[in-house]
Amino acid sequence: MTNLSLADLAGYMRQLGEGALITLELFLASFALAFVFGVLIGIVTLSRSRVVQALWRVYASIFMGVPSLLVIFLTFYGGSAMLGALLGEFGARIDISPFGAGVTAFTVVYAAYIAELVRGAIENLPKGQFEGARALAIPPAIMWGKVILPQVMRLALPGLVNVWSFMLKETPLVSLAGLQDLVAAAKIAAGATKEPFIFFVATALVFIAFSAVSFRLASRLETRLDRGQRRQATDRAPSGATA
Amino acid sequence: MNGLPIDVDLAWESLPALFDGLKVTAILTALPLLLGLALAFPICFARMSDRRWLAFLAEAFVTFFRGAPLLILLYLVYYGLGQIEALREGPFWVLFGSPFGCAIVALSLNHAAYMVEVLRGSLLAVPHGIVEASEALGISRRNVFIWVKMPLAIRYGLKAYQNEVVSFIKGTAIVSVVTITDLTAVANSIFEQTYDPFTPILCAAAFYWAFVNVVRIVFDLWGRWLNRHNAEDAAAAAVVPGRGRSLRSASDLKQVTP
Repeated sequence: MTNLSLADLAGYMRQLGEGALITLELFLASFALAFVFGVLIGIVTLSRSRVVQALWRVYASIFMGVPSLLVIFLTFYGGSAMLGALLGEFGARIDISPFGAGVTAFTVVYAAYIAELVRGAIENLPKGQFEGARALAIPPAIMWGKVILPQVMRLALPGLVNVWSFMLKETPLVSLAGLQDLVAAAKIAAGATKEPFIFFVATALVFIAFSAVSFRLASRLETRLDRGQRRQATDRAPSGATA
Repeated sequence: MNGLPIDVDLAWESLPALFDGLKVTAILTALPLLLGLALAFPICFARMSDRRWLAFLAEAFVTFFRGAPLLILLYLVYYGLGQIEALREGPFWVLFGSPFGCAIVALSLNHAAYMVEVLRGSLLAVPHGIVEASEALGISRRNVFIWVKMPLAIRYGLKAYQNEVVSFIKGTAIVSVVTITDLTAVANSIFEQTYDPFTPILCAAAFYWAFVNVVRIVFDLWGRWLNRHNAEDAAAAAVVPGRGRSLRSASDLKQVTP
């Protein structure tokens, strides 16, 4: 039925594998950067300063209201000019690769979402956590690293999983800026073999499988982050049953 | 380079073309929203059905069309379905033969899969006691659904629906890959003519931003109108899953969805 020989199929599979690796690299790099910047922005924007609040509002509103595809195009086509304006002569000579444009765009866009999550989680923490840390004279760096952020991660995890799976589904957009990723490889293979159906379904299944695996891992991470809460929960259950 | 890298003359000249693009984007938003919602109801009932095979089929539909990136769905419908002989000969070829039809189909299926989860979450959030009370009063199941469950479910699910609609609008930006001249495609073609990387894309971004925020305001007004009899935060208490999967069932942080 299909007009694919086994050797051809093996060749295309290798190409798809290489593309998948690029997609994975792009995704992980973008998510890691977005996470770091998101957490930093989330902490910085807790400041009551009007200027900080206004800047945050504008930033969040813009990047939550504009398609990521446009941000990718903007960084890809306009990146060199922007670097030139920032760094002068030296910056203008840097060529922006599709990969770099994709990572930059996703970082800028998703840092906004992650910052929003982190802000919400910090606001949901009991004030006593901050006051306790201050009363014990714990330095700010250790307070954030050992007291606040672990609890914030626990609260923000469901939202982070949302962002994770949504971002994963947006990574193929970078292929439109010319990145030779999984989707681009699938498109080439589909065009060359005249078997688009198989290749696109296979690509879709790769994405679905990856998000299924990461969802498993997230559930594990959730139980791990919840370990401080577990005793409390079991304590509450019997008392609730007797009441 | 002056402060803002925008060529005002070019922006002014390209306004009519951008408005045309916005019109296409609006149509490509409105039609799949209607079709997807219409499709979501039966699939949601199947998903919640007691018949195992029906629930399984619906779940498979949701997993596939929610888990696959929209770009791949679009490629699949546009390039992949043409391969099927029966479809090429059949009466639906009018639909699948045009880029516009393909985009509508792909977007609707994607939206339907998300809406199944939004609907299901909202319906499950309706307190059981209310349904039981209505049944005890002898109201038929159909009337319970229309007059008791749905009005409450809409209130519970409105925020999730808003998030889904907003991310859907942003998602339509990819239809330019199948040669539809939507807002993004118009911006791209102006870029290709002028090699100005900022003006057309920033203008298109402003149009998207305005569109998304108008939708957001409409949803806010709708939500306020729905809750006009209630205490202020009654509906905000219930939480329903938005785009993407979610772990915990009760956390308001989930409202932050792309």
